[in-house]
Amino acid sequence: MLIRVTVNTVVYEREVKENRTLLRFLREDLGLTGTKEGCGAGECGACTVFLNGKTVNSCMVLAVEADGGVVQTIEGEAQEGMLSALQAAFEAHGAVQCGFCTAGMIMSARQLIHNNPHPTKEEIQEGLEGNFCRCTGYEQIIEAILDVTGQVQEKEELRYV
Amino acid sequence: MIVEFSYKGPTSESTLLELLSDTSRKAKLLAGGTDLLVGIRGGVYKPDLVLDLKKIPEYQKLVLGEDHALTIGPAVTINEILSNKVVQQYHPLLCACAKDLASYQIRNRATVVGNIVNASPCSDMAPALLCLDATITIASVRGKREVAIGEFFTGVKKTVLEKDELVTAVHVPASSASANGVYRKLKRIQGHDLGIVGVAVAQVQGKLRIAVSSAAPTPVVTKPLDGTLSVEALLKEVDSIISPISDVRCSQEYRRFMVLEYTKYLLREVTSC
Repeated sequence: MLIRVTVNTVVYEREVKENRTLLRFLREDLGLTGTKEGCGAGECGACTVFLNGKTVNSCMVLAVEADGGVVQTIEGEAQEGMLSALQAAFEAHGAVQCGFCTAGMIMSARQLIHNNPHPTKEEIQEGLEGNFCRCTGYEQIIEAILDVTGQVQEKEELRYV
Repeated sequence: MIVEFSYKGPTSESTLLELLSDTSRKAKLLAGGTDLLVGIRGGVYKPDLVLDLKKIPEYQKLVLGEDHALTIGPAVTINEILSNKVVQQYHPLLCACAKDLASYQIRNRATVVGNIVNASPCSDMAPALLCLDATITIASVRGKREVAIGEFFTGVKKTVLEKDELVTAVHVPASSASANGVYRKLKRIQGHDLGIVGVAVAQVQGKLRIAVSSAAPTPVVTKPLDGTLSVEALLKEVDSIISPISDVRCSQEYRRFMVLEYTKYLLREVTSC
C-alpha cells in the first residue's frame, strides 16, 4: 500500500507492506534508527514517537495507520545541529548511560512537559511510567526534567531553560 | 516476521459490517492495536484481513447526555476519557480505572471498547463498567442488539460476540452518573503493570456494587448489595463470586486474601465519601 507520511517535517511517499509496523518503517525504510526496539510489546517504551501530536509505542502501530499523518522522532528534536534544551539537560545530568531508552524517554518527557510545564517529581514518575531505563535508576532523568522545567534551585550552573 | 494480511480502513459502518460478514476471511478489528499487534506478533492471532475501525467518524464519538449518561464509541481512547471534564466529574470510577490502565502512550491508543472486547480477566475498564451497569451495543449485517456487561464475558478472552459482530458502543446509564466509586489494583510496581488483582467498589443509587478483576475467568461483580449489610456479609458476597487460580504472578490463597483486604479498605473509603 502506498502511504504518505510527514516525518520531522519531511514528506515521504513509500510503498509499504500492510504488516509493517511504524517502528520498522521508520528504522528500515527511512533509515531513522534513533528510535529503538526494546520489547516489541508495549512494555518498555523505547520505540516511543509522536503520531499526530500524541506519543505512541511505534512497535504497536501499523505504518499504514500513519498514512496522511505527522510523525516526530528523536531525529527531529535537535534544531540546526544544536541539542534541544531537553537533550542538553539529559546530557548535563548524566541521564544517558547506555542510551537505548533515551530516544523514547525524550519523546515521553517532551509530551509530559507539553501537558504539564512544571511537573513535580511524582508527576514525572507517572508521565514516564511507560519508559524503562535499566541503567540510571531514573534519578538523573527526573533531575534533568526538573532542571529543564526550571525547578532546580541548588545547581545553578546546570540550568538549561 | 509477522503474518501477512491485507488492511482496510472503511469510512462507513455499513461497509465495515459488510466486510466483517464475509466469515470465510480471518478478519480482525483494529482500534488501538495495543492488544491486537502484540497478539499478531506472538502468533496468537493470524488474521488475513485487518479492519481499521478508526476512520468511521461516529465511532470516534464520546457522547455525554444531559442526564450525564455516557456513550463511548469503539475508537474512543482511554486518554480521551481521562481528559474529559464531564467524565471526571460524573464518572469518577471510570477515570480511576482508566488511570490505572498501562502507560501514558498506551492510553493514547488503547480504547475502552478494546479493553472490554479483549476480555482479559485482568481488564481494568471492566470493573468500572460492571459496577456502573453498562450496556454494550453489538452490530452486524443481521442487525443490532444490546447486551448487559454482566452477560458479555463468557470466559478467558471469550465474549458473546459472533464472528461477524462488533461492539459499536458502551453505554453508561444516567442512573449510574455521579456514583461514588474507587478502584485499587495490586501490582508489583507502582507504575505500568498488569494487575495481580483489582477491586472496584461503587455506591450506585444507594446500593453497593463490588467488582473484581484477575480473580476469576472473567471480571466479576456482586449483585446490588444493601449498604446496611455488615462488612462480614459484604465480604462473604465477594468471596462467593471469585474463583482465583495460582499462576506466575501469585498463589490462589494470596489472591483471595488480597481481594478481601482491598474490599475492606475500599468499603471504608466509599462509605466515608
